[in-house]
Amino acid sequence: MFLRVGNLILKELIQFSRDRLLAGFIILAPALQLFLMAQATERGITEQPVAVLDLDRSRLSRQLIANLDNNQELHVEYHGENVEGLRDLLDDGHVRLAVVIPAGFAEKLTSVDTPQQIQIIADATNTMAAAVALSAATGVVNRFSADLASSHGMVIPEPIDFRTDVRFNPSMDIQDFTIPAQLGFIIYQVTLAVAALGLARERELGTLEQLMVTPVRRIELTLGKGLPAITIGVLNFAVMLIIALAGFRVPMNGSILLLIALTLLFITTVVGWGLVISAISRTQQQAILFVFIVALMEVTFSGYIVSLKNMPPFLQAISRLAPLQHYLVIVRSIMLKGSTLAELLPQVAALGILSLAIWGLALRCIARTVE
Amino acid sequence: MLDSRLWCGSLFYHAMGVSRVMSPLRVAALVRKEILHIIRDPRNLFLVIISPAFLLFLLSYVFSFEVTKLNLAALDLDRSPASRSYLSSLTNDQELVLTSVIESYQEILPLLVSGDADAVLIIPPSFADTVHGGGPSQVQAIIDGTDPFLSSQAISALGARSGVFVAGIDGNGLMEIVEPIEVRSQAWYNASLESMHSMVPGLLAIVLIMPTMAFALAMTREKETGTLEGLIVTPVSGPEYVAGKLLAYITAGLVSAILAMLVAVLWFKVPFRGNLVAYLVLVADYFLACMGITVVVASFVKSQQAGMFIVLLLFLVPSFFLGGLITPVSTNSLGSILTSYALPSTHFIEISRTVFLKGLGLAHLTRPALLLFGMGVGSIALGLRLFRKKLA
Repeated sequence: MFLRVGNLILKELIQFSRDRLLAGFIILAPALQLFLMAQATERGITEQPVAVLDLDRSRLSRQLIANLDNNQELHVEYHGENVEGLRDLLDDGHVRLAVVIPAGFAEKLTSVDTPQQIQIIADATNTMAAAVALSAATGVVNRFSADLASSHGMVIPEPIDFRTDVRFNPSMDIQDFTIPAQLGFIIYQVTLAVAALGLARERELGTLEQLMVTPVRRIELTLGKGLPAITIGVLNFAVMLIIALAGFRVPMNGSILLLIALTLLFITTVVGWGLVISAISRTQQQAILFVFIVALMEVTFSGYIVSLKNMPPFLQAISRLAPLQHYLVIVRSIMLKGSTLAELLPQVAALGILSLAIWGLALRCIARTVE
Repeated sequence: MLDSRLWCGSLFYHAMGVSRVMSPLRVAALVRKEILHIIRDPRNLFLVIISPAFLLFLLSYVFSFEVTKLNLAALDLDRSPASRSYLSSLTNDQELVLTSVIESYQEILPLLVSGDADAVLIIPPSFADTVHGGGPSQVQAIIDGTDPFLSSQAISALGARSGVFVAGIDGNGLMEIVEPIEVRSQAWYNASLESMHSMVPGLLAIVLIMPTMAFALAMTREKETGTLEGLIVTPVSGPEYVAGKLLAYITAGLVSAILAMLVAVLWFKVPFRGNLVAYLVLVADYFLACMGITVVVASFVKSQQAGMFIVLLLFLVPSFFLGGLITPVSTNSLGSILTSYALPSTHFIEISRTVFLKGLGLAHLTRPALLLFGMGVGSIALGLRLFRKKLA
């Protein structure tokens, strides 16, 4: 049996190496992707362009503008002349925020009792960026206001002095959080796609019939298709881990061996899914469609982009079937929290059960179609 | 009669300096063939025409950012009415949920490691006395920083609510707080900051990559199954072949775009404030750019598998992160600017949001529209060159 499986694996490797472009792409592109995505999510939402219309032009208004510019999330780029100019800047998408300081601002602040109004207008076509920019700007103005009040003798009592202590990722570095997730996501994609296309391709090209005439048994065929896919997944993981650790200096607070072992478990589970898709698709196109839909559901249920707590409980239950969800917890916990095997037992158990079930399902599906 | 038309046509094109004859008749026949391919195969039909609308439906729910509920644990060392009222004021609007009350410092770390609590609040023993006395009482929050988005949400939620609690303490000699400066804020184009209204038009750019995927598969399938050789024997030229496929898939793509827009407007109730015809022209522009790049890629690719991979990795996945869909386009480094701008979806996300939400037309969108057109025409020209060599 092992000889036959070995021969099948050899055949896969030869086929793979013949299509140089594909081989190179499968190995290098995920790494490139990780690099690009990590670059893009480098600093979260910062340096949003702001336009200011200063109708007062006093020392005080200039100070307020300087405070706005100093803020990490904002960057004052335009000084407007009139309201029309601001409108154009917002329409054309050149600025995220427009701030209007009314005339007589500084004067009225010190002489009149009623509060002076600062107008802030946000371009809400990107709601997240708008929310961040609005709250940043409002925060700056409020602090400016409080400082002003205290310097004029108004006492604003603060009974609660609120201190925060952030653990596990004290700098709240977004990259340390997103890169492990991107790692998991990319491995998931590539492994699933390679595994899913395996049998479907043979069926479409007609070479599956030839395989069926040989003494190859279905479990050997399954292993022969599955093991090369697992190898490709592991190779990809190795390359990307090196990039993450050496290039982006993501911390590695736990055991690398544990990470590699659990990643192997994850890849095995994903390949199982891929084999199921491969078995039930009659053409490569169908397989691609399935990969797409399955991948989308995985992403939804994994908590990768949207937090799981938002979903109703029964959807959360279904989400446990998504291997990506468990793997994301694993990879983040090992890398950032330094978790041990004991702490990750629920995830490991989940992945173990899932992989056994899926491979069993794959064997059944392949049995039905190979006949 | 047909012959003389072809002859005149070829003269015309020779006069224009095009070295190959482009016959509209042949292109039309190819377009018809491609459309028949699409219609007759239900799976292909689904992929090209229906999958964008279907995906838009799915993805929009994935990306609907609701406020995440945060799990709070409290170590209340004071146990006074004041501390209890503080805790309830923190949790009364459901963004923070008090999931456990602990008794000792030792319980804090395990709760955070296990993920049962996103933050632990420590209220000191003399809280009530200090607060009523006017002086600051040190309340400490220990936050799980693994997820920076959640942790910064936790910090600002706790901080803001503590501030509100302060303002709410009544009587006992606290002065009325009059802030000298008041902020009036407005959100334009999407006044209620409805995240769907922002995400759905942006996601249209992503789901409209599916017709491009189908186009990539169509370009590579004939090479893989060997039917391309049959076409080479016919009088069909390289440019005609590509033009036929492009026209067919752009047309089919436009149909799918209309379906997807119906989902956006009728189901998700996203306002469409712009001009429909202008938008469809821009959609075609987007297809031109994406499919044009695919033409270049297809000349190197030997199998459908590779074609699919390349579309996935080149267009689909980067668009989520680099296109300005969630976080705005990063202008940090030249590299990130170049990669974002090289991606057609970055421009279409901008176009889509501008037409849907701002209601503006081509006048304000010349830059992205021209960039897309340039990408499309440039890559098609390059692709035709490469294609010719391969066919020869």
